[in-house]
Amino acid sequence: MKKEYNVIGKSIPKHDAHIRVTGKAIYGHDIILPNMLYGAILRTLHPSAIIESIDLSEAKKLPGVVCIITADDVDVNNIGYKRDHPILKKGDANCIRDEIAAVAAETKEIAIQALQLIKVKYTVRTGVYDAFDALKESAPQINKFIGGKFENKNIAEKFHYEHGNLEQEKKNSAHIVSRRFTLPRMTHACMATSNITAHFNSVEKKLTLYSSTQVPFLYQRDMAHALKINPSDIRVIQPVIGGGFGSKLDIHPFEPICALLSMKTDRPVQILYSREEEFIASPIRQPMVIDLTAGVDKNGNFTFREINIIKDNGAYTSWGATTPFVIMQAFSSLYQLKACKFDATAVYTNNVFAGSFRGYGNPQATFALERVIDLLAEKLDMDKAEIRLLNANKKGEITGQGLYFDTCGHKDCLETVISKSNYHTKRLTKQTGRFKNGIGLASMLHVGGGAKIYRSDGCGTILKIDPYGYCTIITGSNEIGQGSETVLAMIASEELGIELDKIKIINTDTDVKPWDVGVHASRTSFVAGNSLLGAITILKEKLNKKAAELLHTSSLAFDYSDTKIISLETHEAVALDKVVREMHFSSPNELAIANYFYEPSSQFQDKNFKGNVSGTYAFASQAIEVEVDTYTGNIRVLDIHVAQDVGKVLNPLLLGGQIEGGIMQGVGYALTEELLMQEGKILNPNFHNYKMLTAADTPNIHFYPIETIDKEGPYGAKGVGEAPLIPTAAAIANAVSNALGLEILDLPITPEKILQALSLQKQTTTLKTNPISK
Amino acid sequence: MEFNIVNPKTKSELLRAIRKETTFRFGAGCTDLLMELKKKPVENLVVINLSFVVDSRFTGLKKLAKSFWLGAMTTAHTMVMNEQIKNDFNVLYESAHNLASTQIRQVATMGGNLCTASPSGDIACALMALDASCHLLNDAGVNSVVNIHDFFLGVRKTILKKNEVLYGLTIPTNKKQTKTVYSKFIKIGTRRSMECSVVSLAYHIQVNEEGVIIGAGIAIGASAPTVRSALSASGFLIGKNIHLITEKEKEELACKIVSYAEPITDLRATAWYRKEVLLNISKSIFE
Repeated sequence: MKKEYNVIGKSIPKHDAHIRVTGKAIYGHDIILPNMLYGAILRTLHPSAIIESIDLSEAKKLPGVVCIITADDVDVNNIGYKRDHPILKKGDANCIRDEIAAVAAETKEIAIQALQLIKVKYTVRTGVYDAFDALKESAPQINKFIGGKFENKNIAEKFHYEHGNLEQEKKNSAHIVSRRFTLPRMTHACMATSNITAHFNSVEKKLTLYSSTQVPFLYQRDMAHALKINPSDIRVIQPVIGGGFGSKLDIHPFEPICALLSMKTDRPVQILYSREEEFIASPIRQPMVIDLTAGVDKNGNFTFREINIIKDNGAYTSWGATTPFVIMQAFSSLYQLKACKFDATAVYTNNVFAGSFRGYGNPQATFALERVIDLLAEKLDMDKAEIRLLNANKKGEITGQGLYFDTCGHKDCLETVISKSNYHTKRLTKQTGRFKNGIGLASMLHVGGGAKIYRSDGCGTILKIDPYGYCTIITGSNEIGQGSETVLAMIASEELGIELDKIKIINTDTDVKPWDVGVHASRTSFVAGNSLLGAITILKEKLNKKAAELLHTSSLAFDYSDTKIISLETHEAVALDKVVREMHFSSPNELAIANYFYEPSSQFQDKNFKGNVSGTYAFASQAIEVEVDTYTGNIRVLDIHVAQDVGKVLNPLLLGGQIEGGIMQGVGYALTEELLMQEGKILNPNFHNYKMLTAADTPNIHFYPIETIDKEGPYGAKGVGEAPLIPTAAAIANAVSNALGLEILDLPITPEKILQALSLQKQTTTLKTNPISK
Repeated sequence: MEFNIVNPKTKSELLRAIRKETTFRFGAGCTDLLMELKKKPVENLVVINLSFVVDSRFTGLKKLAKSFWLGAMTTAHTMVMNEQIKNDFNVLYESAHNLASTQIRQVATMGGNLCTASPSGDIACALMALDASCHLLNDAGVNSVVNIHDFFLGVRKTILKKNEVLYGLTIPTNKKQTKTVYSKFIKIGTRRSMECSVVSLAYHIQVNEEGVIIGAGIAIGASAPTVRSALSASGFLIGKNIHLITEKEKEELACKIVSYAEPITDLRATAWYRKEVLLNISKSIFE
């Protein structure tokens, strides 16, 4: 029987909603420290050049300039996942973001003015702006900090995975489809631009960083390595964060640069990006070319997939290079599959480097995979819904890669969106005239219980109740807008019977909070929620003992409700705050405090990338209806039906927000968003030409949560944050293909590409790539 | 970005400021100006802020005997809210309604949209289809009138001399015999708001009781160095019965409109796309 909850499952508004909408939230941009300086960074003029000389003399003379640093002035280590990224560049400029010098000045205006007075002599080189060109023997070595590990000097990272008998499954296939897919650069476009305030105290030799990082403890470690200081001498404080979406998983050069300026000047220093700088110098979704060959037997069962991916790594290696961890999961394990061979290669170029981005490679993979599933169904003359239902993942399945689906809502998700969208009727509606409608399907699989990619995927909690009955949750996890604070408060309220407004969350200070690996992989509610539940169990044991004493009962069975502890045996109650006071102030004088560290049951994958990497897995399906204007090529998304296996709905309001926000990011990826580059330079570093969609473009979103109540999750819940974005572009592409009878092999599907394809439809059915986006 | 501001409050203060300042720009809603100055600062610049000038002709809307007066400082929002514009000059209403965002429409002005002389100026394009007349004022206080077809010289260039300011414009009232008006602004872009036109088409076609076209204005935007009036296309329609226009005539009309287009390829679209779309939407006028 389903348990009834008092708080869990209710639409509780976000804990921090009021301070955000009333402008009271303190973002990094709002911080002003006494005696603070303002930093600014000089970036290269050329994406590939030799830096011959840097002349600071004029800039140093400018009144108000306090400090200017170049690579020659600092003793630091490289940063980045491969430690191949110098904080300040010397000798070579390899990317248009490259930091040449940094200024600290009394005002931001003076700092910017000083940048204009720095004279840099460059010898411009011919850059390499295409990953395939970079793999040629004749290409120069782009990044000199690693090399020798792989067969080609410009390979940054490689992944190989396989399961099953590929050759046998090729023979078993009735049809085989091969296609090449090209995926664009997309930027996070966080509402708050990148920011940091660094304060080095030269007396205590301690560094405090007010930073928007998503991973404060890894950040502390990486920053310490970069600056050659002790990690515990760094205190990371997170102000309110105006958007993360994965962009703040890596540390970026401006952060140690700000710390260095503070250490050099012995004054606090702040660096804030302008919007243009944000477009140019913050990370992106990894662009890649995916070659996918897939087979199906005569009955419609998927047989094999063979994948070869070339990723444009840019000039330096970030966490973005590791997206194949997730990409291979989609290819190996989304729908039941007998054999898979996967290769991905990250290749250095003189382009801007990628970072992590909500979905972590999965939107790219799912786009290619779900397009090919449509093509396989066409070859078989099989219904596109039926082929998906036939191959859908199921409960109890252990995939070729070793992912174990203890719960699995995949088939329920598919059936729900197929029925709710009226898929079968709409699919067959013949279109005439200017506007043509189409409907498309896609599913996704993503980690739903963290992802063990670091030694621990755990999270710590310290929980206390004060003598007034207020509860403080000190959690390792942090809030980046996803709503985890609210969910944690709801869990405490549910379990302890304390009103939500008497629950405080402390989660912004590494000197105070216990360890957590960070906000990524849709993990926070799952991992931090379980961690909190563990702490609550321990604290309740203490409270129960004291309550039993006060209520003169030998039974330790209690209910916590309405700020009271009620004996299930005698039905007598005592106020929670009274119990706490008695604990504190009477013998044996104990604090109402508990701590707990939760580590998910997931495994670290072996060197062949096999193993059950997550505590649980999330599934989702989307059916999307579009209307294409054949006069203009514009695609209007009409209705999005999304069913998602969320385990258990903890808060419908917040969940709806995650779903809608994710979907709009997916629609942007499908239709409009692309950071355009030419010869290593960004052509559209502004919202005018980087087309993020607006509220007016929002389609009707119909959300159907599927509850599978996973035993690993808090109340059965799974991670939800990334999933809504992942299948959207694939479903839209399938819908457009259904409307027009065109093949779609790259994103975004711009009006221009549609009109070009329509005008060429008689000769070819392949969409052309906009030459400017190459 | 640094500049000085002068805030004339009367017409005479405005004229005095124009006479006095040497390196100056007019600021109306400043929605384009601030962007421009941020990108390309001008040393010792004075911005003559027009938004404090108290003058009902400069800021207001008024129905005159044979025309409709639109002060240069009329905001896009005011145009959207005006019933007469909506009823009589729908093309203008639509161009203002789809301009940028709600916030920008509160401050962006008709005069600014015209004087910026962007090839993709939406309000300018609509006003061209309405055959508006521009009323200029020089620093000596002398008025002159120029037809909107002669107002634009090129990308961000107008006929305004340094000592002149656009004061307002008049739109001819719809003809007495007009029974139905087909008036529309078609804006093509990627987004449904916050968008700069990739191509635009404005038309204002007046039809009498019998269905005969007795007035026609057609203009194109984002397709040439300036917004352009497709005069031969408008002329082609005069005297035709709107209910009897043949497919061949629709094609001919579209070709005439497209003949005015000299689009460029930029980040937002190729010249090919702009022409193709313009042809398609031109055909759609009578659909």
